[in-house]
Amino acid sequence: MHILPKADLRRLTGALAERYALYGPVCHEVSGEVIFDLVDDPSRIDLDIPIPYNPPKGVVFPQAERIMSFSYDRASKAAAIEPEALAAPKALVGLRSCDLNGLLCLDRFMLGQEYVDEVFLEHRKKMFIVSNTCVHPFPQCFCVCTDSGPAAVEGFDLDLTDIGGEYLVLTGSAKGEELVRGLGLAAAPAAKAALRAKAVEASVALFDAQAKDNKAWISRAVNRLTTGFIPHEVWEYIGDQCFECGACAFVCPSCSCFNIEDAAEGEGRSCRTRAWDSCSFEGYARMAGDHNPRKAVEDRRNKRFFCKLSFSQSRKYLRPGCVGCGRCVRVCPGDIGLPNVVTAIRRESTKQVPHE
Amino acid sequence: MIYKTGICNFCGTGCGHLMKVGDGAVKGVFASPDHPVGAGRLCVRGWHIHELLTTSERITRARVRKDGALRDVPLDEALALAADRLAAFPPEAVAFRASPRASNEDNYLLGKLARAVFGTNNIDLASDAGQGHTVGVLLESGGLPAALASVADLREAGFILALGIDITRQNPILGSELHKAARRGARLVTLSGRRTQIAKLSGTHLQNRPGSMRIVLAAMAKVLLEEGLVDRASTGERTVGFDGFARALDGLDMGRVAGLTGLDLEAVRETARALAGSEAAVAVFASGISGLDRETIAMAHNLFLLAGKAGRKGSGLLAATGICNIAGSWDMGATPRFLPGYVKAGDAAAADRFGKLWSARLNGKPGRTVEELLTSSPPTLKALLVAEHDEGLVRHPEALAALDLVVYVGAYDNPFARFAHIVLPAATYAEADGTYTNTERRIQLNRKKVEPGPDILPAWRIWTALAAKRGVIWPYKTSSDVMKEIAAAVPAYSAVTYEELEKGFGLQWPCDERRPKGCPHPGELPGRLSFAAVPDRFTAPAPTGDHPFLLTAGTDNTFWHTNVIMKKTHIPRREYNALLLLYPQGLVEISAEDAARIGARDKRPVRVVSASGSMRVAAKVSTDVRPGTAYVPYFIGDMITGFLDAHGSLLEGGEESVVPVRIEKV
Amino acid sequence: MSETGSKAIVTVPAVAVIDEVRDEIEDVKTFYFSFEDPAVGASFRVRSGQFIMCTVFGAGEFAVSLPFSPESDRPHLSVRQVGKVTRALHDLRPGDKIGVRGPFGNGFPFEEIKGKNVIYVAGGIGLIPLRSSIVHVLQHRKDFGRILLIYGSKTAKELMYRYMIDEWKKTEGFETYFTIDNPEPGWDDRVGFVHTLIAPASVPVKDTVAFVCGPPLMFNAVIGELGKAGLKDEAIVSTLERHMKCGIGKCQHCAIGRTLVCTDGPVYTYRQIKTLGEQI
Ligand SMILES: Cc1cc2nc3c(=O)[nH]c(=O)nc-3n(C[C@H](O)[C@H](O)[C@H](O)COP(=O)(O)OP(=O)(O)OC[C@H]3O[C@@H](n4cnc5c(N)ncnc54)[C@H](O)[C@@H]3O)c2cc1C
Ligand code: SF4
Ligand code: SF4
Ligand code: SF4
Repeated sequence: MHILPKADLRRLTGALAERYALYGPVCHEVSGEVIFDLVDDPSRIDLDIPIPYNPPKGVVFPQAERIMSFSYDRASKAAAIEPEALAAPKALVGLRSCDLNGLLCLDRFMLGQEYVDEVFLEHRKKMFIVSNTCVHPFPQCFCVCTDSGPAAVEGFDLDLTDIGGEYLVLTGSAKGEELVRGLGLAAAPAAKAALRAKAVEASVALFDAQAKDNKAWISRAVNRLTTGFIPHEVWEYIGDQCFECGACAFVCPSCSCFNIEDAAEGEGRSCRTRAWDSCSFEGYARMAGDHNPRKAVEDRRNKRFFCKLSFSQSRKYLRPGCVGCGRCVRVCPGDIGLPNVVTAIRRESTKQVPHE
Repeated sequence: MIYKTGICNFCGTGCGHLMKVGDGAVKGVFASPDHPVGAGRLCVRGWHIHELLTTSERITRARVRKDGALRDVPLDEALALAADRLAAFPPEAVAFRASPRASNEDNYLLGKLARAVFGTNNIDLASDAGQGHTVGVLLESGGLPAALASVADLREAGFILALGIDITRQNPILGSELHKAARRGARLVTLSGRRTQIAKLSGTHLQNRPGSMRIVLAAMAKVLLEEGLVDRASTGERTVGFDGFARALDGLDMGRVAGLTGLDLEAVRETARALAGSEAAVAVFASGISGLDRETIAMAHNLFLLAGKAGRKGSGLLAATGICNIAGSWDMGATPRFLPGYVKAGDAAAADRFGKLWSARLNGKPGRTVEELLTSSPPTLKALLVAEHDEGLVRHPEALAALDLVVYVGAYDNPFARFAHIVLPAATYAEADGTYTNTERRIQLNRKKVEPGPDILPAWRIWTALAAKRGVIWPYKTSSDVMKEIAAAVPAYSAVTYEELEKGFGLQWPCDERRPKGCPHPGELPGRLSFAAVPDRFTAPAPTGDHPFLLTAGTDNTFWHTNVIMKKTHIPRREYNALLLLYPQGLVEISAEDAARIGARDKRPVRVVSASGSMRVAAKVSTDVRPGTAYVPYFIGDMITGFLDAHGSLLEGGEESVVPVRIEKV
Repeated sequence: MSETGSKAIVTVPAVAVIDEVRDEIEDVKTFYFSFEDPAVGASFRVRSGQFIMCTVFGAGEFAVSLPFSPESDRPHLSVRQVGKVTRALHDLRPGDKIGVRGPFGNGFPFEEIKGKNVIYVAGGIGLIPLRSSIVHVLQHRKDFGRILLIYGSKTAKELMYRYMIDEWKKTEGFETYFTIDNPEPGWDDRVGFVHTLIAPASVPVKDTVAFVCGPPLMFNAVIGELGKAGLKDEAIVSTLERHMKCGIGKCQHCAIGRTLVCTDGPVYTYRQIKTLGEQI
């Protein structure tokens, strides 16, 4: 491990900015809101501010992205298909552990199945990641309940832990090591290096106060969902409150449903765009001939929460898709959010099985 | 940074967002976490506004009809032609239609163009009826002609009454506030003939018979009187007209309430008591195409005044505006009745004041609405200029085709454009600076995010250019300059500046010398409020033997403002199309009991017959309407629109209008 | 990983030429195509039951079954026009070009069912995805026991591929049963829903596999009858259709419970379908 004086963070971000498009948590220049954004000025990145409102997934999986251009001249029958050339390498600085885990979920899903998603891969392959240990949780957090924080375990090039006045720097890759060497960072003495584990422990202890109740119940909810023991009323209760806005999927660092649309651009040209979608939408699974297998809103709601708590991620990787960031709580007009779903499951289940 | 602050431009809730901009184009949008209204939420429309802004269905060139077809011409040529041709008709024969999606600056100057350059008060706003009723009642009662409660008040209120509105679909984020209020323990009561989502989320759903809302409200007022629950202050010094209102209520026989409304009287009584017992209470209703009629709004106002819930902090009526700048457009005088700031058009002193401000002689004759002009006989209208319009006017194809001149100014290609002789391309709201006033009087600045195309101007610049073509030179260099003039013209906006707006999340008017930071709680403003005049006869439409169903029309889950602009998006279009795909021929929603009785089945055709017409549509069998009532969404298919047009006068009253019909299996 | 999956055209479509367009029934046309680049054509190997993603330039992309036999047929698609993209495809003429990605999906069992009796039950255009398997099995007639086609539609003019069925009938021992919903002038075959033919056909049960494809109502009724006849759930095979955008297991539009139709399917046994945990 190495030491980076806090005042020198600028050197780190500056060095990255030379080689990468630099992204990190910032306070918005006009509104002061905490968001994860592209920065021109590396000193804007602030690792002390709370977790950004938008998930960093937008960098690798943009909200709407042109992925292909077509041209077809019907007169001459000349057809051409061009995939969009993709952008510069990117550095994501200050990812908190939940968000890094979200990214790893996306990696596993987009890259680790039968097919590789080539568009995602383009974004992902030339990337530098600096994670940031949460030395204290924020009010909406429950990463400890989903096994995704408060400190990163894998997937970073560098990992920073604030030990007061300086950061402990953990390297996670050859790229990371090279940068540490380049910056000439001092090695951390053993006593200091041990502080990372201490900081994590202290942070975990702080969760106890805020993440009791519904949140601690997550692993049991996962069990129940996976074994299929959820009464229909739970989904109905949740479905009634859903406004079908899609936000919970959009803000979720591990949600990756998308839509694809082609649009004509005139003179035989057209383009293919892919964009965030949500399985909570009625039109999502609608098919020709008035056949929608997932018509009732509670069926669709349960799809997403099923997915977060049991399916695609956990079926293959033994972890829930939810990484405990708490974002879907804050954006939900229906006051749902994953922790409330867990509460609802718990309420119904304990009603059914009084001795649990 | 690629995220820029801005305001959602769809409904009047006015949620804040962060718009993602890159390579000179809009790339996406994210909810603004600290915005006082949205507070980090957007609805399905708001989350996809970038899809509208990046549509290829734009008007990008000025066009003029030559030999029957619209042909591209240089912008300047089209501007000159439009100005000259509009000026060729007498003022009474010219009319202007403003867009409720346009900015305050755009609409202020369009009003000025109509009145000071073309000398006519014939200027109106698409979908204005509902807001007109609200404004009318509130002006009459001596209060502000706008929402007296703020969104923040919903977070404190102990009692919330949702009147008819399908709020989780129309103004979803306002609806979210209602739902959240109920979750924190506030009493949420929905009074609505349909079982909307908010009705399902309400502790109490009073599912009244259509057309009887006014009677329910009157009955609640009468309960307050009978049970001594009336607010002292409201009947004494602070108000005017209590006796008149009390006399009107004498006309209501409480014994008949249950029969007229279909509600259990005890439930009505209990609701009235809960209203009276609450610290602060808010009533929410729709103001727009499907708003309430004047009498119902007047009754709601009187009830709240009686209960001491008007003119008090955190309480009052909140008319939810359906389109982002309906409220601001009224403030700017985009209506035949008022000059900016609700100054009566035709009032001599006002004409004088505005005449000076605008250096023009104003027409003393109040104007007429475009609908009035298009349907008057003999026809008097010759020329019409329409800004960014959806589809409503397309319903008068013959009248439009008979006009000598139609000028369309808009950003998006649209079915209305085919009636135009001259088309001028306008910037989208993301291509210009401008302010928008939301449902709670919050004036918000939305900055330009991207450059418009070469021939595309913001609407206010187009109006300025048209004035210049008539030899009237306006001095504005920026839209901020226009706001300076608005501040001089409209007292409630007098302290509004772009600098001040830039500092935070908007200013709630009145915003003047005394309240430079605006006024979130106008209920606290000094002044006496009046009870609105209400009729003392209480009748509700009743089914007859021949026509046993009460049919209402309104919005539906998958509908928002004729869906014309939704059709230019991907995901909202897909979602909003759901009903259309299931019921392509249109639908009438009836209860399972009624369906069984007449032998109708879901998605199978039925005939709806009124005294004056009939239509064949599919039945939608649902649990959301009560037996004896039927519901049609008024956007699906020509069938329904045609049928409803025949009942135009009946339906003018919005949500509370009823057509007695018979429904037969075919 | 399926053997063909790795060779599929995954992201960027290959350009193909429409060689011939044939009107089938109302709203359904068959499009014969070949790849612009012969090398692509040579490496484009399919398994019966797979599908491709077809791009119509300027309109969009949609999932469509490959009804041709992997061995000897000319590549083609049979498409019903239902919406934006399929309508745009129907506007195309011979010589026009399209984009093709794939083939995707698992496909029908072939080697696994050798030696068995095979029943095909189809409703309406449900015959399209079954066609490739039928042709393939008929080509290897001697490897199979009884081969039955039970086929019905609402009206006679909605029966697909009738001219081809006449050809297939020439294969020895190919049994066919047809029905339409209501009597019609000129129709002298059976009348009634498809499932009512299962009993009269006295379908084999032992060493038998049934392929069923059609609208949900028909599907459920047929499954019921096959079950009654004694067929086990794992001996009933179907191909599912879902809203589908990417074809490669990423967009998640086609998720049913734990499965993704594009990569795990579209072919499932009824036993699998029953455990999907959602309506199909
Ligand atoms: C594995 C698979 C194989 C298929 N094989 C064939 C085939 O051989 N022949 C054929 O004609 N069709 C087939 N389909 C269906 C075909 O994909 C849809 O009809 C087509 O996508 C509709 O696109 P559109 O743009 O014309 O319709 P749209 O304008 O997009 O929509 C019209 C209607 O079709 C629905 N729809 C959209 N996509 C699909 C979809 N993928 N499946 C079902 N409904 C959809 C929409 O929700 C809407 O109700 C298959 C689908 C799948 C998934
Ligand atoms: S489900 Fe909610 S809390 Fe969990 S990772 Fe997604 S957004 Fe965060
Ligand atoms: S954020 Fe809430 S309201 Fe929106 S789709 Fe998700 S659960 Fe439904
Ligand atoms: S509620 Fe209205 S203002 Fe808010 S996001 Fe939705 S459409 Fe936009």
